Amino acid sequence: MHDKRRLEIIVERMALGRACNILEEADLTGYTVLSAISGFGGSNRWRSAGDLSTTQDMVVVIAIGDAQKVDVALRELSRLLSRHIGVLSVGDVQVLRPGRF
Amino acid sequence: MGFDLALATILSPVVLFFVLGLLAALARSDMAIPEAFAKGIAIYLMMAIGIKGGVEMSKSGLGPDVLAVMASAVALSFSLPLVAYSLLRLTTRLGRVDAAATAAHYGSISIVTFVAATQAVGLSGLESSGYLVAAAAIMETPAIMSALLLVRRDRTRSEDEPGGGSGELLREVLLNASVVTLIGALIIGWITGTEGMAKVEPFFVTPLQGVLCLFLLDMGLAAGRGLRKGYAMLGVATIGFGLYMPLVSAAVATLFCAFLPMSAGDAALFITLCASSSYIAVPAAMRLALPEARPYIYLTLSLGVTFPFNLTIGIPLYILAAQWVTG
Repeated sequence: MHDKRRLEIIVERMALGRACNILEEADLTGYTVLSAISGFGGSNRWRSAGDLSTTQDMVVVIAIGDAQKVDVALRELSRLLSRHIGVLSVGDVQVLRPGRF
Repeated sequence: MGFDLALATILSPVVLFFVLGLLAALARSDMAIPEAFAKGIAIYLMMAIGIKGGVEMSKSGLGPDVLAVMASAVALSFSLPLVAYSLLRLTTRLGRVDAAATAAHYGSISIVTFVAATQAVGLSGLESSGYLVAAAAIMETPAIMSALLLVRRDRTRSEDEPGGGSGELLREVLLNASVVTLIGALIIGWITGTEGMAKVEPFFVTPLQGVLCLFLLDMGLAAGRGLRKGYAMLGVATIGFGLYMPLVSAAVATLFCAFLPMSAGDAALFITLCASSSYIAVPAAMRLALPEARPYIYLTLSLGVTFPFNLTIGIPLYILAAQWVTG
Protein backbone atom coordinates (compact mmCIF):
# COMPACT_ATOMS: atom_id res chain seq x y z
CA MET A 1 0.00 0.00 0.00
CA HIS A 2 1.13 3.58 -0.71
CA ASP A 3 0.64 6.81 1.27
CA LYS A 4 -1.46 9.61 -0.26
CA ARG A 5 -3.57 12.49 0.98
CA ARG A 6 -7.34 12.61 0.68
CA LEU A 7 -9.11 15.93 0.21
CA GLU A 8 -12.84 16.12 0.88
CA ILE A 9 -14.81 19.25 0.06
CA ILE A 10 -18.50 19.67 0.80
CA VAL A 11 -19.44 22.74 -1.20
CA GLU A 12 -22.51 24.46 -2.62
CA ARG A 13 -23.33 23.20 -6.10
CA MET A 14 -22.88 26.61 -7.71
CA ALA A 15 -19.20 26.65 -6.70
CA LEU A 16 -18.54 23.11 -7.93
CA GLY A 17 -17.12 24.19 -11.29
CA ARG A 18 -14.64 26.49 -9.57
CA ALA A 19 -13.60 23.81 -7.06
CA CYS A 20 -13.02 21.33 -9.90
CA ASN A 21 -10.98 23.91 -11.84
CA ILE A 22 -8.74 24.41 -8.81
CA LEU A 23 -8.20 20.66 -8.44
CA GLU A 24 -7.36 20.28 -12.11
CA GLU A 25 -4.98 23.26 -12.05
CA ALA A 26 -3.18 21.60 -9.09
CA ASP A 27 -2.92 18.42 -11.19
CA LEU A 28 -5.31 16.58 -8.86
CA THR A 29 -7.07 15.04 -11.81
CA GLY A 30 -8.45 11.98 -10.05
CA TYR A 31 -11.49 13.21 -8.19
CA THR A 32 -15.12 12.16 -7.72
CA VAL A 33 -18.21 14.31 -7.20
CA LEU A 34 -21.22 13.04 -5.21
CA SER A 35 -24.57 14.66 -4.53
CA ALA A 36 -25.28 15.49 -0.89
CA ILE A 37 -28.86 14.80 0.22
CA SER A 38 -29.21 16.70 3.47
CA GLY A 39 -27.33 17.80 6.53
CA PHE A 40 -27.00 20.15 9.45
CA GLY A 41 -24.53 23.02 9.69
CA GLY A 42 -24.36 26.60 10.92
CA SER A 43 -27.40 25.91 13.14
CA ASN A 44 -29.48 25.17 10.03
CA ARG A 45 -30.85 21.93 8.66
CA TRP A 46 -30.64 21.80 4.89
CA ARG A 47 -31.80 19.38 2.21
CA SER A 48 -31.48 19.23 -1.55
CA ALA A 49 -34.33 19.45 -4.10
CA GLY A 50 -35.75 22.50 -2.34
CA ASP A 51 -36.00 24.67 -5.44
CA LEU A 52 -35.33 24.58 -9.16
CA SER A 53 -32.42 27.00 -9.06
CA THR A 54 -30.39 24.29 -7.19
CA THR A 55 -28.67 27.12 -5.36
CA GLN A 56 -29.28 25.39 -2.05
CA ASP A 57 -27.88 22.05 -3.18
CA MET A 58 -24.56 20.77 -1.87
CA VAL A 59 -22.07 18.36 -3.41
CA VAL A 60 -19.15 16.37 -2.07
CA VAL A 61 -15.84 16.34 -3.97
CA ILE A 62 -13.29 13.68 -3.06
CA ALA A 63 -9.77 13.95 -4.43
CA ILE A 64 -6.75 11.78 -3.65
CA GLY A 65 -3.20 12.73 -4.58
CA ASP A 66 0.34 13.54 -3.49
CA ALA A 67 0.79 15.82 -0.49
CA GLN A 68 2.43 18.63 -2.46
CA LYS A 69 -0.41 18.71 -5.03
CA VAL A 70 -3.00 18.78 -2.23
CA ASP A 71 -1.14 21.68 -0.58
CA VAL A 72 -1.24 23.68 -3.83
CA ALA A 73 -4.99 23.07 -4.16
CA LEU A 74 -5.60 23.91 -0.48
CA ARG A 75 -4.34 27.47 -0.86
CA GLU A 76 -6.83 28.24 -3.61
CA LEU A 77 -9.66 26.20 -2.07
CA SER A 78 -9.41 28.12 1.19
CA ARG A 79 -9.85 31.35 -0.80
CA LEU A 80 -12.86 29.86 -2.57
CA LEU A 81 -14.45 28.75 0.70
CA SER A 82 -13.93 32.17 2.25
CA ARG A 83 -16.82 33.32 0.04
CA HIS A 84 -18.83 30.17 -0.69
CA ILE A 85 -20.69 27.81 1.62
CA GLY A 86 -18.63 24.69 2.28
CA VAL A 87 -16.48 22.51 4.51
CA LEU A 88 -13.04 21.13 3.71
CA SER A 89 -11.10 18.31 5.35
CA VAL A 90 -7.81 16.57 4.60
CA GLY A 91 -6.65 13.16 5.77
CA ASP A 92 -3.94 10.59 5.18
CA VAL A 93 -4.98 7.49 3.26
CA GLN A 94 -3.36 4.47 1.68
CA VAL A 95 -4.01 3.43 -1.91
CA LEU A 96 -3.42 0.23 -3.78
CA ARG A 97 -2.32 1.67 -7.15
CA PRO A 98 -0.30 4.92 -6.72
CA GLY A 99 0.08 5.46 -10.45
CA ARG A 100 -3.62 6.29 -10.64
CA PHE A 101 -3.24 9.47 -8.57
CA MET B 1 -65.90 42.15 -12.49
CA GLY B 2 -62.62 42.59 -10.58
CA PHE B 3 -63.80 40.47 -7.66
CA ASP B 4 -65.12 37.74 -10.00
CA LEU B 5 -61.81 37.66 -11.84
CA ALA B 6 -59.85 37.47 -8.58
CA LEU B 7 -62.10 34.67 -7.33
CA ALA B 8 -61.82 32.75 -10.61
CA THR B 9 -58.01 33.06 -10.49
CA ILE B 10 -57.73 32.00 -6.86
CA LEU B 11 -60.14 29.09 -7.32
CA SER B 12 -58.45 27.75 -10.46
CA PRO B 13 -56.94 24.24 -10.11
CA VAL B 14 -53.45 25.64 -10.78
CA VAL B 15 -53.55 28.06 -7.83
CA LEU B 16 -55.31 25.57 -5.55
CA PHE B 17 -52.59 22.97 -6.19
CA PHE B 18 -50.00 25.61 -5.33
CA VAL B 19 -51.84 26.32 -2.07
CA LEU B 20 -51.98 22.57 -1.37
CA GLY B 21 -48.20 22.28 -1.77
CA LEU B 22 -47.63 25.37 0.36
CA LEU B 23 -49.83 24.12 3.19
CA ALA B 24 -48.36 20.62 3.01
CA ALA B 25 -44.82 22.00 3.38
CA LEU B 26 -45.83 24.35 6.19
CA ALA B 27 -47.48 21.41 7.99
CA ARG B 28 -44.24 19.40 7.49
CA SER B 29 -45.91 16.75 5.33
CA ASP B 30 -43.50 14.36 3.60
CA MET B 31 -45.10 15.13 0.23
CA ALA B 32 -42.36 15.60 -2.41
CA ILE B 33 -41.96 15.66 -6.18
CA PRO B 34 -38.74 13.90 -7.27
CA GLU B 35 -36.10 16.48 -8.23
CA ALA B 36 -35.38 15.10 -11.73
CA PHE B 37 -39.11 14.91 -12.48
CA ALA B 38 -39.64 18.54 -11.37
CA LYS B 39 -36.78 19.66 -13.61
CA GLY B 40 -38.30 17.69 -16.49
CA ILE B 41 -41.63 19.44 -15.97
CA ALA B 42 -39.89 22.83 -15.90
CA ILE B 43 -38.24 22.08 -19.27
CA TYR B 44 -41.59 20.89 -20.66
CA LEU B 45 -43.25 24.15 -19.57
CA MET B 46 -40.52 26.30 -21.13
CA MET B 47 -40.84 24.35 -24.38
CA ALA B 48 -44.63 24.60 -24.39
CA ILE B 49 -44.63 28.34 -23.71
CA GLY B 50 -41.78 29.01 -26.14
CA ILE B 51 -43.23 27.07 -29.06
CA LYS B 52 -46.68 28.60 -28.57
CA GLY B 53 -45.17 32.09 -28.50
CA GLY B 54 -43.10 31.35 -31.60
CA VAL B 55 -46.16 30.19 -33.54
CA GLU B 56 -48.05 33.36 -32.57
CA MET B 57 -45.04 35.44 -33.64
CA SER B 58 -44.93 33.67 -37.01
CA LYS B 59 -48.48 34.96 -37.58
CA SER B 60 -47.96 38.53 -36.45
CA GLY B 61 -44.30 39.14 -37.35
CA LEU B 62 -41.85 41.56 -35.75
CA GLY B 63 -42.94 45.15 -36.37
CA PRO B 64 -41.82 48.42 -34.79
CA ASP B 65 -44.57 48.08 -32.17
CA VAL B 66 -43.16 44.78 -30.99
CA LEU B 67 -39.62 46.16 -30.95
CA ALA B 68 -40.81 49.12 -28.82
CA VAL B 69 -42.23 46.66 -26.27
CA MET B 70 -38.97 44.66 -26.30
CA ALA B 71 -36.91 47.82 -25.71
CA SER B 72 -39.21 48.80 -22.84
CA ALA B 73 -38.84 45.30 -21.37
CA VAL B 74 -35.04 45.61 -21.38
CA ALA B 75 -35.18 49.13 -19.93
CA LEU B 76 -37.49 48.05 -17.10
CA SER B 77 -35.53 44.89 -16.34
CA PHE B 78 -32.43 47.05 -15.99
CA SER B 79 -33.99 49.89 -14.02
CA LEU B 80 -36.43 48.11 -11.67
CA PRO B 81 -33.58 46.62 -9.59
CA LEU B 82 -32.35 50.17 -8.98
CA VAL B 83 -35.78 51.07 -7.58
CA ALA B 84 -35.89 47.83 -5.56
CA TYR B 85 -32.38 48.44 -4.22
CA SER B 86 -33.23 51.98 -3.09
CA LEU B 87 -36.40 50.78 -1.37
CA LEU B 88 -34.60 47.92 0.34
CA ARG B 89 -31.87 50.24 1.62
CA LEU B 90 -34.43 52.79 2.79
CA THR B 91 -36.91 50.47 4.46
CA THR B 92 -34.93 47.42 5.65
CA ARG B 93 -31.70 46.68 7.46
CA LEU B 94 -30.20 44.74 4.56
CA GLY B 95 -26.61 45.58 3.63
CA ARG B 96 -25.48 46.63 0.16
CA VAL B 97 -24.69 43.14 -1.13
CA ASP B 98 -27.86 41.49 0.20
CA ALA B 99 -29.95 44.40 -1.10
CA ALA B 100 -28.32 44.27 -4.56
CA ALA B 101 -28.74 40.49 -4.87
CA THR B 102 -32.38 40.72 -3.77
CA ALA B 103 -33.06 43.68 -6.08
CA ALA B 104 -31.82 41.70 -9.10
CA HIS B 105 -34.63 39.18 -8.57
CA TYR B 106 -37.22 41.95 -8.95
CA GLY B 107 -35.95 43.10 -12.34
CA SER B 108 -35.98 39.57 -13.70
CA ILE B 109 -39.09 37.47 -14.28
CA SER B 110 -40.95 34.35 -13.17
CA ILE B 111 -42.01 32.28 -16.14
CA VAL B 112 -44.58 30.33 -14.09
CA THR B 113 -46.25 33.57 -12.99
CA PHE B 114 -46.31 34.49 -16.68
CA VAL B 115 -48.00 31.19 -17.61
CA ALA B 116 -50.55 31.60 -14.81
CA ALA B 117 -51.24 35.15 -16.05
CA THR B 118 -51.69 33.85 -19.61
CA GLN B 119 -54.36 31.46 -18.32
CA ALA B 120 -56.05 34.24 -16.32
CA VAL B 121 -55.96 36.58 -19.33
CA GLY B 122 -57.69 33.89 -21.42
CA LEU B 123 -60.21 33.35 -18.61
CA SER B 124 -61.08 37.05 -18.59
CA GLY B 125 -61.83 36.99 -22.32
CA LEU B 126 -58.78 39.01 -23.38
CA GLU B 127 -56.39 38.04 -26.19
CA SER B 128 -52.62 38.06 -25.99
CA SER B 129 -49.80 37.85 -28.54
CA GLY B 130 -46.90 35.42 -28.54
CA TYR B 131 -44.08 37.95 -28.65
CA LEU B 132 -44.29 38.54 -24.91
CA VAL B 133 -42.58 35.16 -24.46
CA ALA B 134 -39.56 36.73 -26.16
CA ALA B 135 -39.89 39.71 -23.80
CA ALA B 136 -39.84 37.24 -20.89
CA ALA B 137 -36.64 35.65 -22.17
CA ILE B 138 -34.79 38.92 -22.67
CA MET B 139 -35.84 40.25 -19.25
CA GLU B 140 -33.85 37.54 -17.43
CA THR B 141 -30.42 39.10 -17.95
CA PRO B 142 -30.37 42.94 -17.63
CA ALA B 143 -31.44 42.73 -13.98
CA ILE B 144 -28.36 40.66 -13.13
CA MET B 145 -26.10 43.23 -14.78
CA SER B 146 -27.86 45.95 -12.83
CA ALA B 147 -27.17 44.20 -9.51
CA LEU B 148 -23.50 43.76 -10.39
CA LEU B 149 -23.20 47.46 -11.19
CA LEU B 150 -24.76 48.32 -7.84
CA VAL B 151 -21.99 46.57 -5.90
CA ARG B 152 -19.18 47.28 -8.36
CA ARG B 153 -17.64 50.06 -6.28
CA ASP B 154 -17.26 47.62 -3.35
CA ARG B 155 -15.23 45.27 -5.49
CA THR B 156 -11.54 45.12 -6.22
CA ARG B 157 -9.65 42.98 -8.70
CA SER B 158 -8.06 41.04 -5.83
CA GLU B 159 -11.49 39.65 -5.05
CA ASP B 160 -11.50 37.62 -8.28
CA GLU B 161 -12.32 34.08 -7.33
CA PRO B 162 -9.92 31.21 -7.75
CA GLY B 163 -11.11 28.64 -10.26
CA GLY B 164 -13.54 31.01 -11.88
CA GLY B 165 -13.42 33.61 -14.61
CA SER B 166 -15.80 36.19 -15.98
CA GLY B 167 -16.71 33.74 -18.75
CA GLU B 168 -18.31 31.39 -16.24
CA LEU B 169 -20.72 34.06 -14.99
CA LEU B 170 -21.46 35.25 -18.50
CA ARG B 171 -22.24 31.70 -19.57
CA GLU B 172 -24.52 31.22 -16.54
CA VAL B 173 -26.32 34.50 -17.22
CA LEU B 174 -26.73 34.24 -20.99
CA LEU B 175 -26.93 30.49 -21.49
CA ASN B 176 -28.80 29.27 -18.44
CA ALA B 177 -31.18 26.40 -19.16
CA SER B 178 -34.39 28.42 -18.92
CA VAL B 179 -33.24 31.14 -21.36
CA VAL B 180 -31.86 28.63 -23.89
CA THR B 181 -34.96 26.41 -23.76
CA LEU B 182 -37.36 29.33 -23.97
CA ILE B 183 -35.62 31.12 -26.84
CA GLY B 184 -34.87 27.83 -28.64
CA ALA B 185 -38.52 26.74 -28.47
CA LEU B 186 -39.62 30.23 -29.54
CA ILE B 187 -37.44 30.03 -32.66
CA ILE B 188 -38.64 26.49 -33.41
CA GLY B 189 -42.26 27.67 -33.10
CA TRP B 190 -41.49 30.65 -35.31
CA ILE B 191 -39.87 28.48 -38.00
CA THR B 192 -42.45 25.68 -38.00
CA GLY B 193 -45.53 27.89 -37.57
CA THR B 194 -49.09 26.62 -37.37
CA GLU B 195 -48.30 23.49 -39.39
CA GLY B 196 -45.57 22.42 -37.01
CA MET B 197 -47.76 23.23 -34.02
CA ALA B 198 -50.50 20.92 -35.31
CA LYS B 199 -48.05 18.00 -35.07
CA VAL B 200 -47.07 18.62 -31.44
CA GLU B 201 -50.33 20.06 -30.14
CA PRO B 202 -51.45 16.86 -28.33
CA PHE B 203 -48.22 17.01 -26.31
CA PHE B 204 -47.71 20.74 -25.75
CA VAL B 205 -51.22 22.22 -25.63
CA THR B 206 -53.82 19.74 -24.35
CA PRO B 207 -51.93 18.48 -21.26
CA LEU B 208 -50.48 21.91 -20.34
CA GLN B 209 -53.03 22.70 -17.62
CA GLY B 210 -52.56 19.36 -15.88
CA VAL B 211 -48.77 19.56 -16.03
CA LEU B 212 -48.95 23.11 -14.71
CA CYS B 213 -50.94 21.83 -11.70
CA LEU B 214 -48.19 19.30 -10.99
CA PHE B 215 -45.52 21.96 -11.34
CA LEU B 216 -47.38 24.40 -9.11
CA LEU B 217 -47.76 21.69 -6.47
CA ASP B 218 -43.96 21.40 -6.46
CA MET B 219 -43.58 25.18 -6.40
CA GLY B 220 -45.95 25.31 -3.42
CA LEU B 221 -43.82 22.75 -1.61
CA ALA B 222 -40.64 24.71 -2.35
CA ALA B 223 -42.28 27.99 -1.30
CA GLY B 224 -43.59 26.45 1.91
CA ARG B 225 -40.21 24.95 2.79
CA GLY B 226 -38.53 28.30 2.08
CA LEU B 227 -41.07 30.18 4.18
CA ARG B 228 -40.77 27.73 7.06
CA LYS B 229 -37.01 28.12 7.16
CA GLY B 230 -36.61 31.74 6.14
CA TYR B 231 -39.64 33.48 7.65
CA ALA B 232 -38.17 33.79 11.14
CA MET B 233 -34.92 35.18 9.73
CA LEU B 234 -36.60 37.94 7.69
CA GLY B 235 -37.88 41.06 9.39
CA VAL B 236 -41.35 42.51 8.88
CA ALA B 237 -39.91 45.27 6.67
CA THR B 238 -38.21 42.75 4.38
CA ILE B 239 -41.35 40.63 4.06
CA GLY B 240 -43.31 43.82 3.43
CA PHE B 241 -40.93 44.59 0.55
CA GLY B 242 -41.81 41.23 -1.03
CA LEU B 243 -45.46 42.30 -1.01
CA TYR B 244 -45.27 45.93 -2.11
CA MET B 245 -42.40 45.72 -4.62
CA PRO B 246 -44.49 43.81 -7.22
CA LEU B 247 -47.10 46.57 -6.94
CA VAL B 248 -44.44 49.25 -7.42
CA SER B 249 -43.09 47.42 -10.50
CA ALA B 250 -46.64 46.93 -11.79
CA ALA B 251 -47.35 50.65 -11.39
CA VAL B 252 -44.21 51.58 -13.38
CA ALA B 253 -45.08 49.01 -16.08
CA THR B 254 -48.65 50.29 -16.27
CA LEU B 255 -47.24 53.76 -16.92
CA PHE B 256 -45.17 52.34 -19.78
CA CYS B 257 -48.25 50.58 -21.18
CA ALA B 258 -49.98 53.95 -21.50
CA PHE B 259 -47.43 54.87 -24.18
CA LEU B 260 -47.00 51.45 -25.81
CA PRO B 261 -49.26 50.21 -28.61
CA MET B 262 -50.60 47.13 -26.79
CA SER B 263 -53.85 45.27 -26.39
CA ALA B 264 -55.27 44.85 -22.89
CA GLY B 265 -54.22 41.17 -22.82
CA ASP B 266 -50.64 41.96 -23.84
CA ALA B 267 -50.49 44.84 -21.35
CA ALA B 268 -51.65 42.49 -18.56
CA LEU B 269 -48.87 40.05 -19.41
CA PHE B 270 -46.28 42.83 -19.69
CA ILE B 271 -47.26 44.20 -16.28
CA THR B 272 -47.16 40.69 -14.81
CA LEU B 273 -43.66 40.12 -16.21
CA CYS B 274 -42.43 43.33 -14.61
CA ALA B 275 -44.15 42.57 -11.30
CA SER B 276 -42.84 39.01 -11.06
CA SER B 277 -39.51 38.03 -9.55
CA SER B 278 -37.05 35.35 -10.57
CA TYR B 279 -36.38 32.20 -8.54
CA ILE B 280 -34.43 30.06 -11.01
CA ALA B 281 -31.97 32.03 -13.18
CA VAL B 282 -31.14 34.95 -10.88
CA PRO B 283 -30.49 32.96 -7.65
CA ALA B 284 -28.01 30.81 -9.59
CA ALA B 285 -26.27 33.86 -11.06
CA MET B 286 -26.16 35.56 -7.66
CA ARG B 287 -24.49 32.56 -6.02
CA LEU B 288 -21.73 32.90 -8.60
CA ALA B 289 -21.48 36.68 -8.74
CA LEU B 290 -22.30 37.70 -5.16
CA PRO B 291 -21.72 34.64 -2.97
CA GLU B 292 -21.58 36.86 0.14
CA ALA B 293 -25.29 37.63 -0.27
CA ARG B 294 -27.43 35.38 1.88
CA PRO B 295 -29.54 33.11 -0.37
CA TYR B 296 -32.30 32.54 2.21
CA ILE B 297 -33.20 36.24 2.01
CA TYR B 298 -33.73 36.50 -1.75
CA LEU B 299 -35.10 32.98 -2.24
CA THR B 300 -37.62 33.25 0.59
CA LEU B 301 -38.73 36.67 -0.60
CA SER B 302 -39.03 35.73 -4.25
CA LEU B 303 -40.43 32.23 -3.94
CA GLY B 304 -42.16 32.36 -0.56
CA VAL B 305 -43.63 35.88 -0.55
CA THR B 306 -43.79 37.53 -3.99
CA PHE B 307 -44.66 34.45 -6.05
CA PRO B 308 -47.73 33.45 -3.95
CA PHE B 309 -48.79 37.10 -3.79
CA ASN B 310 -48.67 37.47 -7.57
CA LEU B 311 -50.37 34.15 -8.17
CA THR B 312 -53.36 34.89 -5.94
CA ILE B 313 -53.80 38.67 -5.66
CA GLY B 314 -51.37 40.25 -8.11
CA ILE B 315 -52.52 38.78 -11.44
CA PRO B 316 -56.18 39.90 -11.15
CA LEU B 317 -54.94 43.38 -10.17
CA TYR B 318 -52.58 43.52 -13.16
CA ILE B 319 -55.37 42.50 -15.54
CA LEU B 320 -57.56 45.28 -14.13
CA ALA B 321 -54.69 47.78 -14.46
CA ALA B 322 -54.15 46.69 -18.08
CA GLN B 323 -57.84 47.07 -18.91
CA TRP B 324 -57.84 50.49 -17.31
CA VAL B 325 -54.71 51.79 -19.04
CA THR B 326 -55.62 50.49 -22.51
CA GLY B 327 -59.13 51.87 -22.22
